[in-house]
Amino acid sequence: MEIRSGLTLQEKLHILADAAKYDVACTSSGVDRRGREGYLGNSVAAGICHSFAADGRCISLLKILLTNHCIYDCKYCLNRVSNDTLRAAFTPREVCELTVEFYKRNYIEGLFLSSGVWKSPAYTMERICEALYLLRNEYRFNGYIHVKAIPGAPDELLAAAGYLADRMSVNLELPTGESLRKLAPNKTHKAILRPMRMVSDTIAEHRLAIGKSAQMERSRSTQRLGGGIFSGAGGRIGERADQSGFVGDARPLKAQMPAEDLVVRGSQPVNAGRESFSLPAGLRRRDLQRPFVPAGQSTQMIIGATPETDYHLLKTTQHLYQTYDLKRVFFSAYVPLNEDSALPALGTPPPLLREHRLYQADWLLRFYGFHADELLSEERPDFNELLDPKCDWALRHLELFPVEINSADYSTILRIPGIGPKSALRIVQSRRYGKLDFPHLKKMGVVLKRAHYFITCGGRMMYPTPIEERYIARQLIGVNEKENWQIRHGSKTGFRQLSLFEDFQLGA
Amino acid sequence: MTVFTCEDTFEAMMTCIYDAWASRLGHDNLRLQLEPVWQQGLFCTYVHVDADFSKAAKVVRSIQRKISYEAYRQVFLAAMSFEPDRLDAIYRFLVLGFASGRKLTQMMSRPEVVWIFELSRKANTEANYFREFTRFSQVGQVYVAHIEPKCNVTAISAAHFADRMPSEHWMMIDDNRQIAAVHPKDQAYYMTRLTGEELKQLRKTEEEEDIYTDLWREFFESIAIEARRNSECQRNNMPLWYRKHATEFQRRARQ
Ligand code: SF4
Repeated sequence: MEIRSGLTLQEKLHILADAAKYDVACTSSGVDRRGREGYLGNSVAAGICHSFAADGRCISLLKILLTNHCIYDCKYCLNRVSNDTLRAAFTPREVCELTVEFYKRNYIEGLFLSSGVWKSPAYTMERICEALYLLRNEYRFNGYIHVKAIPGAPDELLAAAGYLADRMSVNLELPTGESLRKLAPNKTHKAILRPMRMVSDTIAEHRLAIGKSAQMERSRSTQRLGGGIFSGAGGRIGERADQSGFVGDARPLKAQMPAEDLVVRGSQPVNAGRESFSLPAGLRRRDLQRPFVPAGQSTQMIIGATPETDYHLLKTTQHLYQTYDLKRVFFSAYVPLNEDSALPALGTPPPLLREHRLYQADWLLRFYGFHADELLSEERPDFNELLDPKCDWALRHLELFPVEINSADYSTILRIPGIGPKSALRIVQSRRYGKLDFPHLKKMGVVLKRAHYFITCGGRMMYPTPIEERYIARQLIGVNEKENWQIRHGSKTGFRQLSLFEDFQLGA
Repeated sequence: MTVFTCEDTFEAMMTCIYDAWASRLGHDNLRLQLEPVWQQGLFCTYVHVDADFSKAAKVVRSIQRKISYEAYRQVFLAAMSFEPDRLDAIYRFLVLGFASGRKLTQMMSRPEVVWIFELSRKANTEANYFREFTRFSQVGQVYVAHIEPKCNVTAISAAHFADRMPSEHWMMIDDNRQIAAVHPKDQAYYMTRLTGEELKQLRKTEEEEDIYTDLWREFFESIAIEARRNSECQRNNMPLWYRKHATEFQRRARQ
């Protein structure tokens, strides 16, 4: 390992932004918080994107590692201990200054702080907490913070981070324990899921304490639907049976917070019986009164480095939403960075179209009331390359179509290709005041080139079309083709979070 | 046909609506138009209306009370759009609105409603763009931003920044309309017109560079994944038009 001291701030930023970019989460969404006099920053629930990098991905947060020093050896990662690479670390103050100065110039919505495992999980988490503490208190930063929870760090430190940040994430990395063993020998699902469980229970407990429901709010369309993956589970998240063999042995973090005076004593070591660690100096009761991870938890899985099917990935995704009440599950198309026999060869193109299909399906779970088993099965374990998952589903269920726009219920309308939650809502609201026809639908944001095969207005289809699978499939593949080609070949509209907004008409 | 005209400010537009309504000429016998009026119709009488705060306030209150807050929001945004006929469109929307009340904004089968819905959506989308792509440079104690929006969104976007940076001095300048939102530290922001000379002075602020403009460009370059390079996707997401004032797309001025 090469260690050079005296790196400039610019050199550090180069190294530590470069090392952070394979974590795909970059949203600043999930929490509305007004600004306050004397402080810097606010937060907008929908999230705000500030720029787009050369790969077309949105830049919303200052996404950096605290350090790329790491004692672990994950095969897929640039920072693994066995790589000979230039190492750097920010001081907590450098992190704060970059965040605040970038923020004032409106470059970013906040900070996404992750890190390699530096010396030990406890040591790393302690440094992270120190930076967040400074940022919130001395720099009076009131904007968005997403922080990585380092599995294996003491609960008190994880809790402290949760009270200082808006979102926390622990990456599941790979959907099966077997793949994880193969590629990340220092990690186990048990170790990853324990903090995930604790954070989710603590969020639920905190929400109950302030009079909200235990479960995170979902979109308006999901509330309206009633039948999706978030309903019917019932009860408190923490009490739900865990069917997959995922561990659930953790207590909520709050219960494990040290008593007040212990906290105030600050950076003196607190012996929790495992190892010594310190809480950020001066962490006060006030900090513990901030909402705990108000923007919820997220995670990420790597796509294409291991043999799991789309079905497996989507089932895992659904399970994570239901069991851990995650706000988002992200997918990261694997980009080969290391030469390793256990991994795809260097130069293998990242599976971008597959990643895109998974995101589309993820939206169908979260906003459209679909379940994983409706979209894929053991027999059909992978997504159709040519058609998006919603069109694909509709074609396999032609017996349900065409749907009459002037009378069908909301959940039925939402399942029509080319119609998203917003336009579906507009349809059911406005048809009370007059019969709707195709031109009205167009104005309401319905994508007729997809939808018209599946709907009637006043008993009439837009064109005389046979409701016949092969015919419609051919037509829709034509509509999909351009987009598919563009995603694969990196032209025009590749994957981006915003394009999902448009495709699904969730935007304004 | 009588044509009521007024200058392009929200207060004047609301006053114009008030006077047109109060004229009792019948909605079909009148039109509303923003100044400057380039071509005068042959058989039209033109009536210029000056902004009047109390009349404008009455209209605003009636929209909120007798129709809905949502209708008011749409009217305001539509008034900020750049559609030349927006004033008359708003008038038609309100004629229908005062007859039908709360349900107005949901009556999407009516062209008056769809029209305002679309205009307001356009202005809103653009206001959101400027929450994202506006860049401030630090000039002494003040953070200064230059924008060139198509819709008149400076005041709307400034409200966002007032909440975001309540305890900083900053200003946002619409270079084309020559107006600015000015926000002194810990105070409310206000809108002001800029003289040509002021604008010329302020324009230079964009060339202001410091260590953070360089660090930002460094970050911007480092965060892209080479194997996913996709400049057309980047262009679709962030049209060239919005990049003009974005630090990360400006070449370093001094090197
Ligand atoms: S823990 Fe693994 S994935 Fe994380 S930085 Fe270290 S080697 Fe990379």
